[in-house]
Amino acid sequence: MSDLKPISALGAAAPRLLTLGTLTLRENPGLGLASLALRRGGTAPSPFGLTLPDPGGWAASGAYAAFWTGPDQWMIEAEGRGEEDFAAALKAEAPGCSITEQTDGWVAFEITSVAGGAPLSRLMEKLVNVDAAGFGPGHATRTGLEHMSVFLIRRAEDRLAIIGMRTLAGSLWHAIETAAGRLVAV
Amino acid sequence: MLIPHPLLGPRDAQEFTYLGDAMMIDRPDGLAEGAEAAFCDYVFQRDNPAGLHRELWFHEQGDRSWLVVTRNTVTHEILGAELARDVALARRATDTPADQGDAQ
Repeated sequence: MSDLKPISALGAAAPRLLTLGTLTLRENPGLGLASLALRRGGTAPSPFGLTLPDPGGWAASGAYAAFWTGPDQWMIEAEGRGEEDFAAALKAEAPGCSITEQTDGWVAFEITSVAGGAPLSRLMEKLVNVDAAGFGPGHATRTGLEHMSVFLIRRAEDRLAIIGMRTLAGSLWHAIETAAGRLVAV
Repeated sequence: MLIPHPLLGPRDAQEFTYLGDAMMIDRPDGLAEGAEAAFCDYVFQRDNPAGLHRELWFHEQGDRSWLVVTRNTVTHEILGAELARDVALARRATDTPADQGDAQ
């Protein structure tokens, strides 16, 4: 069998990294994702010690985090576990819930600011029709970005994650890079 | 245009797709007497009111929930939105007190 080389969602051997002004864009290949949905009448578990957040929310605990995706439905994130069977680990933590592996369906871009939250708010204003001022740390939502469906997560005042469909990774990176580049040009 | 999502607050209408009259929640029983006539009405017959209209919208680029949106078709004013799931469950609770609810 020939040597198979793993590549990132953007098709390179190493995850892409780019700094534009005060913003740094980073492809995050290590993020494990699995969705968790309650069965009818079920009660919310607390996998890995997480308190599953209310609508529009994101909650983190150590290397794990969860964000709300729909009624009785959440996405669970595991930093650094993108190459493991994370769904199986989550299944053991949340018996009686419906768990679906999601890691390979998505690409995660982490955007960091070295100048506080203002550049991230301005980037959001260019990219999505979501109230950027009301999108503080702990907020997460799904919305449209240049006709692509994405999740936005405000992980901290100076950190924003955009999770989009993996097959559209190149287009999504291009959209973010273009908007961030224009912020620098102003 | 903004749609007041009951869980997420005001959201851009571009995130939604439109299905049609909210009467489609009341799907007839296909095994009952007169099912053919009932389905003929269900599939083809629609009121076309100038004024208040209850309609189904899908939050496709959002939490993917179905909403029942009350809209004025003359002014395009949106008067309210509720989760279609809540509407259907409430209706089922009043229609069938002897809980046949889990059959679906």
